[in-house]
Amino acid sequence: MTQIPEGKPVPEITEQTRPFWTGAKNRKLMMQKCKRCGTLNFLPKPWCVECADRALEWVEVKPTGSVYSYTVAYVVMMNFPAWKNDLPLVMGIIDLDDGARMYGQVTGCSPEEVYIGMRVAAYFEDIGSDAAIPKFRPA
Amino acid sequence: MRGKVAIVGVGRTPYSRAKQGERIYTIDEYLAWAAELALAHAGLSKNDFDGQGLGVAHAEASHTVNWAAAVAEMLGISPRVLLRADQGGASAAAMLVRAAAMINAGIVDRVLVMGADTPLTIPSVAPGLPLSPERTRGLFWDFQGPFGVMGANSQFALVQTRYMHQYPIKPEHLGKIAVTTRYHASLNPAAIYRTPFTMEEYLNSRMLSYPVRLLDCVPMVDGGLAYIVTSAHTARSLTEKPVYLLGFGEVSNYYHGSRTRPDITFTGFVQAAPEAFAMAGVTHQNIDVFEPYDDYPMVVLIQMEDYGFCKKGEGAQFVEEHDLKFNGDFPISTDGGQLSGGQPGGAIGGFMPIVEAVTQLRGEAGERQVEAAAVAAVSGFGGMTYARNNRSCVTAILGSEA
Repeated sequence: MTQIPEGKPVPEITEQTRPFWTGAKNRKLMMQKCKRCGTLNFLPKPWCVECADRALEWVEVKPTGSVYSYTVAYVVMMNFPAWKNDLPLVMGIIDLDDGARMYGQVTGCSPEEVYIGMRVAAYFEDIGSDAAIPKFRPA
Repeated sequence: MRGKVAIVGVGRTPYSRAKQGERIYTIDEYLAWAAELALAHAGLSKNDFDGQGLGVAHAEASHTVNWAAAVAEMLGISPRVLLRADQGGASAAAMLVRAAAMINAGIVDRVLVMGADTPLTIPSVAPGLPLSPERTRGLFWDFQGPFGVMGANSQFALVQTRYMHQYPIKPEHLGKIAVTTRYHASLNPAAIYRTPFTMEEYLNSRMLSYPVRLLDCVPMVDGGLAYIVTSAHTARSLTEKPVYLLGFGEVSNYYHGSRTRPDITFTGFVQAAPEAFAMAGVTHQNIDVFEPYDDYPMVVLIQMEDYGFCKKGEGAQFVEEHDLKFNGDFPISTDGGQLSGGQPGGAIGGFMPIVEAVTQLRGEAGERQVEAAAVAAVSGFGGMTYARNNRSCVTAILGSEA
């Protein structure tokens, strides 16, 4: 009963998450900043995970950071088969200079060249008509 | 709560890789099968659970509303209390804690706890991606799937890469864990992969998600497990070999360091394990057998550290200095673990450490029996976080004497 989907997955955009996707579409990295304590919350949260204030404001953050960890996927697992064309795929955990942490693909260099602490900058790739995702390359 | 409840029976069905031509069982069938085995082991009947407790771990293939009650209906049991755990691989251990609290409070005297799943035979949207809401919908999927995150292999690989950056470790250290668990599987007729492999074969197994190799990865199976927990008083009337719950500790959504940028090489076991040891009144030297949550060797090594068997960052050295075999000085994963035994869905593998620990403490482990095993430490570990370590950590200390 496997129903193989075409293409790569696209997000189901909700009012809660729309600023991130629309921002990326406009080549901006948008995240929720707590108005009370200033914490950047990511992925999108219903309130600030530090101080529980619901007044989260979408702000543009600096698209630069460094690689906190990474893995090189050689097979598609628990994701859509269309990723096969992108293998090997370097997936990083990126520590952004403004304080948040996120998943992001690292491109623009061979997998062997990626290292923890490597400086990276985000660029954006459209997925579907209403969204884009940040990917990272050496800065 | 020390020694107030005991496990009096366990059951583990044969596992299946659902190969062509095999009889395919449903979750309900596996639940009944596992329950039948546990009831027989305990010398109880299903009617003994009318007015008592029934616990079910959330199965990925089941998404009916009030599923635990539906299971009661399927089995023809009328429980007073229903437990349903949705803590992934921590579900089985978490329900042991809940059952102990219910029994200790006098609400029920006994609880039948079950889990089964059929990950190989449920509809999928893609290979390894079951068609279930938590996998392919919602916030966690939307910020991982479209980014190219490849599920558990990649998520544990990210922990492993970071670990390798912060502490001294070689692939051979993780290989020793994988080779040892496979050796134990060769001694366990119930394990799914039983042919031993060498360190060289481990090192040569192909990379799936660097630095995670094929032989680092847990294989999925269909299957079910169950255990029965009762008050200590009832336990002693049922069996000469009750396995007492001596202590437990639990934490979900543990952060090591800041919430936005924690150190992902730590798990919540740094909090849960010391609580469990303190309640049990035991030290590390008292642990005769360690049944960690063992879906990836890295996870096992981190548990050795976070339980305090050695210091943080010294796990590799600890693995090197100890014999991890059932007849060694630090026996782990004596049933072959999930790595070689098979994982009956991400939420059910957590029954295996409990079932194996009970088997060992009752002296019923056959060829892989740890000599004079009296105290065991077991882990529940469940749920993948966003870019961190796991969500739920539960430690239980079990012993043959209260």
